[in-house]
Amino acid sequence: MRKLEPTPRNIRLLRNTATVSGIFAMVLCVLILINFLQVKRADPLNTPALKMLVERLKSSPGDKQLQQEVRELDLVARKAFFTSQWQVRTGGYLLFFSLLLVIICLKSIEMMKPVIPEPPGKEDDFWNERMLNRKWVAYAGITLIVLSLVAAWLTHNELGNNLQAAASGGAISEEPATGAASPSGSSAVPADSTRADTTAKSDTAAASNPVDGFPTLKEIRANSASFRGFGGNGIDFHTNLPISWDGKSGKNILWKTEVPLPGYNSPIVWNDQVFLSGASDAKREVYSFDANSGKLKWRFTVDKIPGSPAASPKVNSETGQAAPTMATDGRRVYAIFANGDMVSLDMEGKKIWAKNLGLPVNHYGHSSSLIMYHDMVIIQYDQRNAPCVMALAGKSGEVVWKTARNVKISWASPILVNTGKRTELILVAEPSMKGYDPASGKELWSIDCIGGEVGPSAAFVGGIAFSVNEYSKLAAVELGENPRLLWEGTEYLSDIPSPLATEKYLFLLTSYGTAVCYDAKSGEKQWEKDFGNPTYASPMLADGKIYQMDKTGIMHIFKPDKVYASIAEPQLGEGSVCTPAFGDGRIYIRGNRNLYCVGR
Amino acid sequence: MKERMKKLCWILLFTLVVVNGFAVQRFPKPEFETAYLQPQTHQPPPRAELLAVTDVVVLFLALAVTTWLVLKRRSRMGVFFMSLASLAYFGFYRQGCVCSIGAIQNVTLALFDHSFFIPLTVIAFFILPLIFTLFFGRTFCAGVCPFGALQDLVAFRPVKLGSRLNAVLGMIPYVYLGLAVLYAATGTDFIICRYDPFVGIFRFGASFGMFIFTGTLLLSGIFIARPYCRFLCPYGVLLNRTSRFSRKHLTITPAACIQCRLCENSCPYDAIDIPVTGKNPMDKQRRMRNLIFIILLVPVLVGIGGWTGARLHETLAGVNPKVRLASLVMHPESYAGMAEPFEITAFRSAGKPVAQLYAEASSVLGQFYTGGWILGGFLGLVFGLVIAGRMLARYNPDYVPNKGNCFSCGRCVDYCPVKATTNPPS
Amino acid sequence: MLNRRDFIQTLVRGSILAGLTLLTGALVYRSRKGGCESGFACGSCPKSDGCNLAEAKAFRQTVWQLDPAKCIQCGRCATNCVMSPSAVKCFHVYAMCGYCDLCGGYFKPETKDLTTAAEHQLCPTNAIKRKFVEDPFFEYSIDKPLCIGCGKCVKGCGAFGNGSLQLQIDHHLCQNCNECSIARSCPSEAFSRVPAGKPYLLKSFGKELLPDKKTTSG
Repeated sequence: MRKLEPTPRNIRLLRNTATVSGIFAMVLCVLILINFLQVKRADPLNTPALKMLVERLKSSPGDKQLQQEVRELDLVARKAFFTSQWQVRTGGYLLFFSLLLVIICLKSIEMMKPVIPEPPGKEDDFWNERMLNRKWVAYAGITLIVLSLVAAWLTHNELGNNLQAAASGGAISEEPATGAASPSGSSAVPADSTRADTTAKSDTAAASNPVDGFPTLKEIRANSASFRGFGGNGIDFHTNLPISWDGKSGKNILWKTEVPLPGYNSPIVWNDQVFLSGASDAKREVYSFDANSGKLKWRFTVDKIPGSPAASPKVNSETGQAAPTMATDGRRVYAIFANGDMVSLDMEGKKIWAKNLGLPVNHYGHSSSLIMYHDMVIIQYDQRNAPCVMALAGKSGEVVWKTARNVKISWASPILVNTGKRTELILVAEPSMKGYDPASGKELWSIDCIGGEVGPSAAFVGGIAFSVNEYSKLAAVELGENPRLLWEGTEYLSDIPSPLATEKYLFLLTSYGTAVCYDAKSGEKQWEKDFGNPTYASPMLADGKIYQMDKTGIMHIFKPDKVYASIAEPQLGEGSVCTPAFGDGRIYIRGNRNLYCVGR
Repeated sequence: MKERMKKLCWILLFTLVVVNGFAVQRFPKPEFETAYLQPQTHQPPPRAELLAVTDVVVLFLALAVTTWLVLKRRSRMGVFFMSLASLAYFGFYRQGCVCSIGAIQNVTLALFDHSFFIPLTVIAFFILPLIFTLFFGRTFCAGVCPFGALQDLVAFRPVKLGSRLNAVLGMIPYVYLGLAVLYAATGTDFIICRYDPFVGIFRFGASFGMFIFTGTLLLSGIFIARPYCRFLCPYGVLLNRTSRFSRKHLTITPAACIQCRLCENSCPYDAIDIPVTGKNPMDKQRRMRNLIFIILLVPVLVGIGGWTGARLHETLAGVNPKVRLASLVMHPESYAGMAEPFEITAFRSAGKPVAQLYAEASSVLGQFYTGGWILGGFLGLVFGLVIAGRMLARYNPDYVPNKGNCFSCGRCVDYCPVKATTNPPS
Repeated sequence: MLNRRDFIQTLVRGSILAGLTLLTGALVYRSRKGGCESGFACGSCPKSDGCNLAEAKAFRQTVWQLDPAKCIQCGRCATNCVMSPSAVKCFHVYAMCGYCDLCGGYFKPETKDLTTAAEHQLCPTNAIKRKFVEDPFFEYSIDKPLCIGCGKCVKGCGAFGNGSLQLQIDHHLCQNCNECSIARSCPSEAFSRVPAGKPYLLKSFGKELLPDKKTTSG
């Protein structure tokens, strides 16, 4: 290789080359960056325009012009993609070689120049420099320490504890997000509360914020947050409940308040508030009563909801416009009406959100009650057009999940159970009983065991779920990956009251007023008892007794036992079709006109 | 026949629930009537095993040749061309992988995770440069490391940063090393590889962020020579500490220093120590007191560092995939309203029990807690020792390369008027 | 004659050397005798079915590969590889293919005319070639240079067909990074290091698909 002479001309030449290719490289750099951004902004292979055209083509398959458009756009998109790839690659190579040229030129100039040491300047004072050096390091270090201390101070380490609690608690109740609301159906006996408490520990963090999050298991048990108590299983955990009262004489009636508008929904209770909804054909309202005095604390008129139908749907008079029971998570209350209006209010009666879910096509009227899972409100929307089950975010009303259901119209309500492995949402409607993951809405299992116009909700205990309907059958299903029919019966069936499963027995009320007790595992009938009056309310197990309201207002209180043993039969003095709700030492009963609080 | 098949397909299409069943034989393999020959699935083989051995051989030769060029030939030009050759081989031919810097993580993970397989090649890449450095100084940095070579190439207008700035910025690599070891040991991530600015150049492709980072680094490298090596490289920390005890090291002058001070500004890396002459202005008693104070301070610093690190363990563990997944599963509201993250979908389809995930994530957090203590303690220790080290100095009248910081590039050699032929005065 | 400073230096150097030797020893021991009692360890478990240990032992290198059984076709392979286009490609295991006329990997769902027209194709880059074999069978093959590894066809084939389309790292393109950047972002932890002697994890109905001698020897 001939050596390049270090003449000024050569150096100038090299320098100019370096400058030119340097500028070239810079331009390339900018171009590459632009390309980067372009591809990032508009991904040519996933253009929404193309997707839309294909969607349109699906609805009109024969459209030749549309086909042509799709083909052309597809070609352009692909070309754009491969061109941009080519550009990046080629640009990269060009950039590399131009920079290489710059470096070669500059290095050559450097090498041509002889090493000329600079004349030494002022000698540094080592010790002074050392001291300053030390100071700088110290300052930098101290700054770092202070910053990280502040960061450490601000950090909240809660994940670890949560995980640990969840991992140990999860061994029993394997539930993501550690079921604050995972109602332990299989442990649905008041005495067995240890299980729930272990899981409740981990969600105290979630419950710390009063607006976000959701109540702990303990809180839910201490209240009466939805239809048929904890998880909708017909089991309540309050004690010290009265067994005798008389509506006429006012004995043991703490208060009685008239409910402005009628409704067949049952009361729910949170702390010192009792909630009800009521509706006429023209008006829909939500009420909050003071649990201690019975005074109407606030009422909220549900109107001006976008999408709400102008006229209320025609409904059966035994269903009414406000059949579904409300639900609460202690932060907000939720109510739904027969026209599909759904509203969420805070505890003071201020609207948080409201929407119409679409008019439910239901010849008797929508009656499925709401239930809470974590911070979601779950709605079983088994109507004629596109039946589905959905979960709305309690805070915003946004749809968290929505799962289509291949079923007929139903009037039953969802229940939440803990199968020991996970929390499941169990719904019944012709033709099947189905289990869902309440967190995602994924269908977990399904078994065809029911038919007709299903009104009673499911019951569950110890891995067995029960479904029943008039003109169909009573079915006990063992849950698992492949649910198995355990036993069935057709002798006594119900079309309105839901069955109640306790540890050993299944209690069933027919709507004409016969109570029946079965062995939950074997299906063997233990006893039957005719109360003589039609019955619409569902039985509730509370304080070791079963409370069963009949249509005339007599509360049949009896032992959940192998033989029928009546405890008491107090009278309300007013007809009732609603399931009672419980508080500590109190029973809240909605009569046909009045709301009663019974207690000593 | 065709119609039937078509119909069958359609029936299956509509009746099958769309589940992601993997490899289910839904359609039998056809029996062809024509002479159709079923093609084989082409599976291109990976790079031959033997070439991995070649890499190690090349590494050893490169180290040996560079050392020879630095110590025996004292040739800057030789080192320069050697570094170009290494850049071509390890950089552009081998595309920056395997490299000694990244090998720190493999070694760490292999020590902590017994099921992690570490090939002999990687061990060689980690150990060989350290051994050479222990005997001959950081010749690896001078002529073998492709990253160093690349930065050395663009250092056209180096400016002196001054010893203070150098000292402060020089602490960053310790932090980087500590974090890299923590993340590697917990099997979280190889952050050195993740934020490796140069592989993008070798591969002619990088993400947008890395492209910007690399560009900035190289542009600043024109003025701040070897910014990565000096202020980021975690392997440099190991080499620096090892090199301080090297048996032989590059010297500016082949013989005795004649105090001409011509080399004073020759080093672009500020790695020449100025002479320690004169008396320490601080009186001895005060010096001793300060030194004792610093030495007593070290355990306190270790404690503070450790406590801070442990406090921050959940923040540090936030990038661990297991912890992230567990946190996602635990807080489904964090992605409410958005599409379900793929991680959740995959977790669900894998069918692993949630409790097991929580337990695993919890144990990872435990590791990070311990790791946080160690990392913080280590950084506190380094900080304390750096200050303590700055208290001491040995009398030395000459300009000498700092054995820790010097990359043995040999630039200063050209500035020294004393040549090897000159007899050293005894 | 050693002065004090040199003595200390030598002492420290000696101990560093000893430390390095110990470390090397430990690492080599690990490398030879990892977590597997068979004496070979690799990132993915060598005990997985079909692992021919005698063969695996002969290899001292590992390469990245993804397990199609774990893959959920999220599409990140297409975007997260350091290579552009990705080194992950769709591989067609012909031995598994049903040669369907209506191919779930080739056609968009609900396609009615089974033609190769653009509006019917699932592949965004037209990388799957459809060839008539005999009534009613069609052969599908992957045009590797066009494939971007998005996995759309893999998803379709897995959901409706036999699952003969599978994503794999093409070792002709893979740089074998120390830490695979797709592995880092893979949601289902499908990526792992496998012995370089068995670099593919293609499966044919649960069984390992052995490489074709003709194509791999080249």
